[in-house]
Amino acid sequence: MISNLGAVLLIVSFLTTCSTLFLYIKNNIIQKSSIYLQFFLFYKVSFYLILFSFFVLIACFAISDFSIISVYENSHTDKPLFYKISAAWGNHEGSMLLFILVISLYGILFLLNSKNINDSLRACTIFFQSIIQLIFLSFLIFTSNPFSKIFPVPVQGLGLNPILQDPLLAIHPPFLYLGYVGFSLVFSLLLAALILKQYNSRWASIAKKWIMLPWSFLSFGIGLGSFWAYYELGWGGYWFWDPVENASLMPWIASTALIHSIVVMEKLKKLFAWTAILTILTFILSLFGTFLVRSGVLNSVHAFANDPERGVYILFIITIITLGSLIIYILKFPKESVNNNRFALFSRDFSILLNNYFLIFILTVVIVGTTYPILLSVFTGETISVGPQYYNTILAPFIFIFLILMAIGPLMKWNGNSPILMKQKIFSFFIVSVFLTILISLYLSGYNFIFLLGVLCSVYLIVSVFHEIVMNKKIFFTKHNFSRLFSHLGFGLLILAITLNHFFSKEINAKLHLGESFFKQGIKINFLKSESSKEKNFEELFGIYKITKDNKTFILKPSVRKYKQPQQFTSETSIQRDGLSDVYIAMDYAGDPSMGMGVRFYYNYFIRLIWISFALITIGGIASFVRRGNEKTI
Amino acid sequence: MKKPSKISLLVSVTVIFFVIFYYSLKANNKNNPNIMLNKPLPAIELTSLVNTNLKQELPLINRDKYYLINIWSSWCVPCREEHSILMKLKDKIKIYGINYKDKKTNATAFLNKLGNPFYFTGSDKDGSISIEIGAYGIPETYVVNSQGLIIFKHVGPLNKKIYLRISEIIK
Amino acid sequence: MRNIFLIILFVFFIPAQLAMASAEREINIYKNIRCLVCQGQSLNDSNSDFAVDLKKVIKKKIINKETDKEIYKYLTERYGDWILFDPPLKKKTLLLWALPLITLIGGLFILGKRLVFHLKQ
Repeated sequence: MISNLGAVLLIVSFLTTCSTLFLYIKNNIIQKSSIYLQFFLFYKVSFYLILFSFFVLIACFAISDFSIISVYENSHTDKPLFYKISAAWGNHEGSMLLFILVISLYGILFLLNSKNINDSLRACTIFFQSIIQLIFLSFLIFTSNPFSKIFPVPVQGLGLNPILQDPLLAIHPPFLYLGYVGFSLVFSLLLAALILKQYNSRWASIAKKWIMLPWSFLSFGIGLGSFWAYYELGWGGYWFWDPVENASLMPWIASTALIHSIVVMEKLKKLFAWTAILTILTFILSLFGTFLVRSGVLNSVHAFANDPERGVYILFIITIITLGSLIIYILKFPKESVNNNRFALFSRDFSILLNNYFLIFILTVVIVGTTYPILLSVFTGETISVGPQYYNTILAPFIFIFLILMAIGPLMKWNGNSPILMKQKIFSFFIVSVFLTILISLYLSGYNFIFLLGVLCSVYLIVSVFHEIVMNKKIFFTKHNFSRLFSHLGFGLLILAITLNHFFSKEINAKLHLGESFFKQGIKINFLKSESSKEKNFEELFGIYKITKDNKTFILKPSVRKYKQPQQFTSETSIQRDGLSDVYIAMDYAGDPSMGMGVRFYYNYFIRLIWISFALITIGGIASFVRRGNEKTI
Repeated sequence: MKKPSKISLLVSVTVIFFVIFYYSLKANNKNNPNIMLNKPLPAIELTSLVNTNLKQELPLINRDKYYLINIWSSWCVPCREEHSILMKLKDKIKIYGINYKDKKTNATAFLNKLGNPFYFTGSDKDGSISIEIGAYGIPETYVVNSQGLIIFKHVGPLNKKIYLRISEIIK
Repeated sequence: MRNIFLIILFVFFIPAQLAMASAEREINIYKNIRCLVCQGQSLNDSNSDFAVDLKKVIKKKIINKETDKEIYKYLTERYGDWILFDPPLKKKTLLLWALPLITLIGGLFILGKRLVFHLKQ
């Protein structure tokens, strides 16, 4: 059966990767270019084997081959084809195969896009990438084989959880993997450069795009997850500081610091140590996130396959990769480069250094908040929860200062500057921002101190970005400035939108009988009527509600679905746009129906601006590598 | 710092992290059912399932023996599974049952069919009594001593292992 | 005339304000409590039986004029600190709040040393 083919492909890929490594080690001293060709060929073969293996897995899901355990556990003949396919990576084993595929894919992408780099660096990078690939392939084949069989072959599958049948949820993991797993390549590139003594500013120039590419995917993946949670889960929220969310945020923060650090390394030949450490840290955090999510140590809404035994293996993998990379760093880091680390106080590079300190602090807070319950339970056996209030309380003041830094930093010149002009700009931006903040405050009648501070700081950043765009229209479209300006603008808008959303959103819980109305906080909710419908695998009860706010009327149709197989209830939200905000409602299906139908209504203020900000940040990232830049040949 | 000492420091720190997280995999990271151990049972009043005039207050005062409290209902499948163990325990120790959010007819039919291990069965129609004694997922079983302290609590159906454990405790 | 006006104000508006404030307080309490049979959801966000029952119990306590602190104490006595989302400030969470502070001070210290070094030049 083709499932056997899949397993065979995996094993052959494993062997090919081994051969790749063996070939490299054996021929390390020989400089013949033909050896390199052979080496790269082997690597390409191992990639295709993994790719076909993945296709085979998808095919098995598509035809519902229940002789394979993962198909049996995660699929069902009644599932629409799209979800049958996405179930292939919606389980532990399949997603690990996707994980490995992404590692291999980045290796191939690197091979295809590095023709101007010397072969020894290319080969060494692929060498390290192959090691990572091999480690995870062994993990897959020996502990989490997606092609494991079951006998006797069941007639029907188990996997028909309706919550998992959502288009956004289906494509969310691939984007995240293209993100944080993609950092494996710059990691390998770093180790290769250290060993070959090619770790310098020319390396930084090459490496930059191999950070920007996964960073963009990761930004998009996180935004997508947030977007899905908002539309599907029905709580009106978009970020919950849930441990699994944090697991993807941690490499994002580290890689953002890395991006800034590598720019300084390329331009000014400083921050060599920061860049190296951040590269290793980003990849380790990606793996650590994988560990947290799959091992069962965390308790969250995103309950993935929780298997402590697999957790031990992943933990072991992280340990050896960490040890290996840091030992190489300690032994091979070019000491001389540190002599260059002088900074003038009012320089762009110093502000980037400062920015890195801030990001590391934010990262520490997220790591502490996420792992503290785990560590506490190990040492004392007690359990606590760390909710959003912890993060919001500690991080808010720092993010505000951070916004100011993001605005002021780019105003300064590299290595020092002319303070007078800069001080003028800083001051005039401040005046404009205060003016705009007062306007916003009066328009919304918002006088809360934190609100005003948040608006002021984010507007300050936005003003500085717009100023730069307007003043430099000609060079705006150089790849470098476009990228930074878009992403920084996106971040400023994001914090502004979050601030507005936090202070001006409304939440109303009510129990309504048919025909009843409820009025609160300037909003009227009228339960007009109900309708029911029947689909192939569920029955649906719709509630038709009329919402009236500020002389505007909206008709919303939330519903409760009763699925048959397995029997489960879900609540589907109904959302309508009001400018940049959303009118949002969901029905409760628990509780005593004789008391009326429970509804949760949210007016999500400026929520659409949050999605726009995510998009801008991502576009900024993509812009940095889409056009060929001036990377030097080494 | 010299390179070898850097490396040994790195290795020790990494190994420590490995060990800590290794234990975290073993540690119980969900709700700790032991929070109420050796604490007094909160006072509750049970109304009998069969006769609404008959009431029972817990914890019992002036008793010199252990007793069990078991929260169950007729619609709960694991309760069915553990029922035989309750029947075995019935002769060793007094069991007070709390019938959780159930219909009287279904509950009595359940007991008639599978046997009644309870010395007294109280009814908890809205779940508030179970919450009062810190339950959250039925079936749950408590062992209370003569001073009214909870000395053992188990969430989920009883099995052989727990049965033996309880038998040890109540000797 | 003025007195009647004030009385009307008192009777109609202030209870409404209080009602709004108390409804918000109720929701805030539910948001801070974990639904123990769900994965990571709060009472406010959950429709499970346990969540509905527990909300009823809490609502009774609110009507009985119990304070937030008393309600949380009732819950943590029975279910442990884990049931609250906001970590309490106790001995065991000391490090949770202290670690960011230590990091901050450490960072400032290192940065300060560097600045002093540069200013001296």
